[in-house]
Amino acid sequence: MHGHDRRKFLGLCLGGITFTLMGAAIYPVFKFLAPLQTRKSAGKVEIRQQDLAEGEAKFIEFGGEPAVVVNSGEHGLIALSAVCTHLGCIVQWQRDKRRFLCPCHAGLYTESGEVISGPPPKQLPKLPLSVNNGIITVG
Amino acid sequence: MKISKKTYDWLETRLGIEELIGKSLKGYLLPRNINFWYSMGSILLFIFALQGITGILLLIYYVPDAEKAFNSVKAIMNEIPFGWFIRTCHVIGASSMVFFLLLHMLSVLFMGSYKSPRELNWLSGFMLFTLVLAISLTGYLLPWSQLSFWATTVATNSVGTIPLIGDFLLEFLRGGKLVGPPTLGRFFALHVAVLPVTIAVFVMIHLFLVKRIGISTPPFGLDDTKNRWDDGKFRYEDHPGGIPFFPHYLLQDLTSIALYLAIFVFFVFFTPSLFFPADAFIPADSLRTPAHIKPEWYFLANYQALKLFPNEFIGIIVQALAMTFIAFLPFLDRGKEKHPLKRPVFTACAIGGILIFLALTIWGHYS
Repeated sequence: MHGHDRRKFLGLCLGGITFTLMGAAIYPVFKFLAPLQTRKSAGKVEIRQQDLAEGEAKFIEFGGEPAVVVNSGEHGLIALSAVCTHLGCIVQWQRDKRRFLCPCHAGLYTESGEVISGPPPKQLPKLPLSVNNGIITVG
Repeated sequence: MKISKKTYDWLETRLGIEELIGKSLKGYLLPRNINFWYSMGSILLFIFALQGITGILLLIYYVPDAEKAFNSVKAIMNEIPFGWFIRTCHVIGASSMVFFLLLHMLSVLFMGSYKSPRELNWLSGFMLFTLVLAISLTGYLLPWSQLSFWATTVATNSVGTIPLIGDFLLEFLRGGKLVGPPTLGRFFALHVAVLPVTIAVFVMIHLFLVKRIGISTPPFGLDDTKNRWDDGKFRYEDHPGGIPFFPHYLLQDLTSIALYLAIFVFFVFFTPSLFFPADAFIPADSLRTPAHIKPEWYFLANYQALKLFPNEFIGIIVQALAMTFIAFLPFLDRGKEKHPLKRPVFTACAIGGILIFLALTIWGHYS
């Protein structure tokens, strides 16, 4: 009985050591594989207002994701996420029709991001935007 | 009935696990006088696995482009979390692979385990040794540092001394007249695809042969130490009344691996600089050769030996002959005796060979 207890104790110790060592080996591998922290643009993105004529759209990267700034004229300047809310493709700006088209499954959005037709379940998220001295700042 | 028991029973019905364990593990009997040296193979398998894992991890961040390779390695060392750890493990693992292969081969030599009917075991093992040297050489270039660039230049240059076809072979190997971006592409493909697959195939052949022919009996602790194999027909060398592989010898294997890991971890954490000379931290410059460029420790003997011959080609031929002699040793040494002390000529020559190798290595290091 005494020997049995000792065997159990040693087994537990061995198990504990193995478990700890496995953790010590897996942790660095996990950290190595984990995505690097994307520099969430504390970063604001700035573009010159004169570079964005009426009816034009400019694609930028904001917070590690594609975004778009549109000069819609009627609604003024709008900043939107350029990631389609359906399956994550990047929308294209159709200048002549003043709308966004998702080339993957033909989702259509208005220039302010509302869904016109197709599979997207919700509108394109709006991004904060301000204009100062001819400089458009997203973020 | 518990779900685990149900799953086990389901698998048992389909795979016959108990019979498999009984026959292949508990019923796999090893000689009673088996010793520590028989666990070298397990240590090597463990090192191969670790090299495979760390190599795949490094592939995630390494860029095999001459313009970007050095910076990608720099990023692995300085920016990627634990990148330095993974790379240092890979670098020191490469040296360990060669070191333990040498130990494995020496133990087989001294215990006479290469003798009939195990010529093919030895030959496949020797092939593994040359493949490991090749994978080490090709991997050495990948960081694209001054060290790797010029060590590869020196190492591949010897090919050019072969009469008539030397220049063609050298250019073919490098992908150009000199080591350059095309060489990196070639060596990368060899290092991450061709050689690992070839090594895996040879490991399987080697293990198949070990299992098929049976483990050799060590010559120590026996009165009669002669090789009992009778030429003519196949016979599995069994060991009635021997030690079961599971759990007895597996425990010895695990102990040896743990011991290896302790030494390995010591080198990784306390002496990594041993494996990274100063030139390893300077990006490759094809117009500036650093002074005293030297190969890795396991090539130092060959490097120094080449300098002793008046003609490089003769030096290469002599070394190639020596390697061929070792590869075909079981076909030349047909004696039945296995105990090292009962075959003094062989033992004296083997010890002499080791001493020459060590002397050349030390000389090469300090030359």
